[in-house]
Amino acid sequence: MEHRIDAWMILAVAGILGASLVTQNAVSQVVGTQLLARQLLWACAGMLTLIILSRIRLDYYARLAPLAYGFGLASLVAVLFFGEVRSGTRGWFAMGPLTLQPSEFARVATILMVAAWLGRRSGRRLAAGEAAGVAALVLVAAGLVALEPDLGVTLTYLPVAVAALWLGGLPRWAWVWLVILTLVVGVAAWNTVLKDFQKERVLTVLDPERDPYGVGYQVRQSKIAVGAGGLAGEGVGQGSQSLLRYLPAQHTDFAFAVWAEATGFVGASGLLLAYALLLYRIGMAAAVAESRFGLILAILVGAWFAFQVVVNLGMVLGLLPTTGITLPLFSYGGSSLLSTCVALGVVQSVWRHRLVNQ
Amino acid sequence: MEIREDLGPVRQRAIVLLLTAFLLFGALHLRIAQLQIVEGSHWRTMAENNRLRRLPLASVRGRIYDRRGHVLADNLPTWNLLLFPDEASKLDETLLFVADLGVSDAASLHRRVNQRGVDRLAPMVVGENLDWQQVARVRSHQSDHPELSVVAGFRRHYPFGNATAHIVGHLRLVSENELRSSAGLDPSTRVGATGIESLANDFLTGQAGERWVVVSAVGRQLGVVREDPSASGKDLAVTIDAGLQQIAAEALGERAGSVVAIDPRHGAVRVMYSSPSFNAELFSGPLSPETWNALTTDPRHPLQDRSLQGTYPPGSTIKPILALAALTDGLVTPNWTVQCTGRVVLHGHPFRCWRRGGHGRVDLEHSLEASCDVYYYQLGQRLGIDRMARWLELFGLGRSTGTGLPSEASGLIGTPEWSRRVRGTPWYAGEAVSVSIGQGPVLTTAIQMARAFAALANGGRLVTPHVVVGPEQANSVDLDLDPTHLARVKKGLELVVHGETGTARSLAGLPVAGKTGTAQVARLQEGVDSKDLAPHLQHHAWFVGWAPLIDPEIVIAVVVEHGGGGGSIAAPTASIIFSAALDNAEQPSDHAPEE
Repeated sequence: MEHRIDAWMILAVAGILGASLVTQNAVSQVVGTQLLARQLLWACAGMLTLIILSRIRLDYYARLAPLAYGFGLASLVAVLFFGEVRSGTRGWFAMGPLTLQPSEFARVATILMVAAWLGRRSGRRLAAGEAAGVAALVLVAAGLVALEPDLGVTLTYLPVAVAALWLGGLPRWAWVWLVILTLVVGVAAWNTVLKDFQKERVLTVLDPERDPYGVGYQVRQSKIAVGAGGLAGEGVGQGSQSLLRYLPAQHTDFAFAVWAEATGFVGASGLLLAYALLLYRIGMAAAVAESRFGLILAILVGAWFAFQVVVNLGMVLGLLPTTGITLPLFSYGGSSLLSTCVALGVVQSVWRHRLVNQ
Repeated sequence: MEIREDLGPVRQRAIVLLLTAFLLFGALHLRIAQLQIVEGSHWRTMAENNRLRRLPLASVRGRIYDRRGHVLADNLPTWNLLLFPDEASKLDETLLFVADLGVSDAASLHRRVNQRGVDRLAPMVVGENLDWQQVARVRSHQSDHPELSVVAGFRRHYPFGNATAHIVGHLRLVSENELRSSAGLDPSTRVGATGIESLANDFLTGQAGERWVVVSAVGRQLGVVREDPSASGKDLAVTIDAGLQQIAAEALGERAGSVVAIDPRHGAVRVMYSSPSFNAELFSGPLSPETWNALTTDPRHPLQDRSLQGTYPPGSTIKPILALAALTDGLVTPNWTVQCTGRVVLHGHPFRCWRRGGHGRVDLEHSLEASCDVYYYQLGQRLGIDRMARWLELFGLGRSTGTGLPSEASGLIGTPEWSRRVRGTPWYAGEAVSVSIGQGPVLTTAIQMARAFAALANGGRLVTPHVVVGPEQANSVDLDLDPTHLARVKKGLELVVHGETGTARSLAGLPVAGKTGTAQVARLQEGVDSKDLAPHLQHHAWFVGWAPLIDPEIVIAVVVEHGGGGGSIAAPTASIIFSAALDNAEQPSDHAPEE
């Protein structure tokens, strides 16, 4: 038997998409291209995908996982050779007017693969070799994305690995080692891999007035936009006219700041609550799941989703460094929107087929 | 797969993850509240003091130098007035203020503000070349009109003024198409429109930069967000001799016409002057419609570059080429003579020599010296129109010379085939008779004539006239002429100046050889003297020649529109320029000042 789709989740998704379209429309004039029509098409396609995928039985996803993962890896390799370059990143397939970003879809495939792998195991904690296997599944995909190079999307793979290890269960000493390892890698990266502008971004979070017109400019403008919104906002489409167009990446990374300025604390809270509701419904799907695969799948999607919301809003609100991570369902971009809907559709399959329990 | 597996431990871990996420969401919510409610008024003040401006950084256009290092095109620092229309709270008042300054009128300002593009951070240039009083007025009203800003810029300046207006050229504003095709181009950008400014535009143009600054509500600069520095254009040395150019301008004076001088050894252009000239600096700043109308409706067409675009019948100046053609093809010998009685009847029509009484018995050298028309009517009959056309084209007449300068006219060499195809009327045999003295359907430019005579002077190489030295300009075509035939023709051209009956005896004091030409504008009726013609029907006067006689270093072509006789008008003008060129004996080597 099949349960009805989760109306609360649909409501949350529709609310976020609606707010996004309002924002994209307001931003169009500033950015100089008409964003609304394209994003509206993607939103409709996303919703449809979500509903269709929710009807597919969960065990099919478990069986399809290796194929999806293999296809995901293949597309990540292919894009390195045949992809289109945008601002230094070779990460898009161009098909006529359509461009697809395989790194967004490969993440869903990776989540499926990790969940299928963990779902087949019994309840005992992961052995060291198994843990390494789980981590490798994620890191191979993330490594390919890092080669594009796309730092923002690469980072969104990490919560999948961490959540998988956490759910799989590692002994306490392993977590101690992981934290130490992270610190060592972090310090090493700071001294070798990270470029000066990236270090400056981190330092700017610690000291916002460090370089207000240079590296700190974007975050400062973002904080001004959000703060100037006040309680009720300045109104959609008019905003603070002098201000909106000083904000960079208004339709992508900093879209939330535009919304927060236009609608104030009322709108910003409402949007944040919609994300909280969405996350809560993902949690409910996990809670009613009676298969290990379904539970882990829902939680992995939730972990990735929450990570991306927190990191993006942390950046917009000046709490975290600028990383180029977008706000799921809200920032402009078809691949991100569609892949998020795919992930949510699979979570809905967990919800709808909870008593089938194959 | 087991039914009802124990999911307890996994569920617990999942709950921990979800709780962590909700905790972080809560923290974000608190942060939003802090920014929007607690600190809201602070950020609102910041927003008002937070104006981002994109300031254009002017790039310096490269200077143009003549071959001796004189500056032909320079840049003068100037003050420009920028307006940031979107910042204005009372735009109408500001536009009135700008109009009141006297830098632009209110109507065109309004039109431009309304038509500006979507790139709204970009300023508009609303005033150029401000004087000190205007700058002071803007500065003293800065707090009333913070959206105005005075910035430093450059204005193109031509030290030799009208004398170099055509060859050096002038600037123009970028066109709508160019603005559309290259993003980020400022609408107030000026690019080369004519002459060397256009020819070498890419070389001279630098890279404009821009600076993004944050300014306070009263227009004070708070900080620089980003700066893309501008890069200067490269300086260019050209082959022009500015001193000689000036002498040519003075020699022509008020008369309409052109002087072209080239070095016959490689084709370097020394002088290219067109009269009447104009002030090219008018185009360096905003051009008022009145000025533009005055320039374009002037009946003397000062904007036309007569050296390159003025096409005139060459008259007798083509006789040496036809003589050489007939000698080379074996149709006449140097000793072949014609009895000139002042007129001859060909194809049933009488054709007159310019000398009423006739020249008597005339051989080849004497035909050039005295410019006997009857000799060339007969010689032309032997050559035939197709052979004449081929030889004239061989010497580069009737087609562009390859200077690379914009809008060079090709001229025309009429043939029966051309008549059928272009003119659509049959060819008359009488037309070939006219062509043999450079009349009828033959049109050449001054630079074409200079180039053709350079080929005679340098022993038979057709050079490419050029103002900028580059590899392709070194090209020359060997015409493969017989030295003895060439020597006979050159001897005839020496006699034009130094012979007893020469038509250019006014040059006799100088080591010059050349040919006069008097091109009819209207056909003379029987018994009418050319002196009685109306000014606009007067003949065009030509002189083309070289100096010195041995190893010539300069070829000068002078054409005076409706000037009258080539010997009486063009030759004395050429004499002044030749004399100046020969005085400058110690010319530096030709490639010394370049690049």
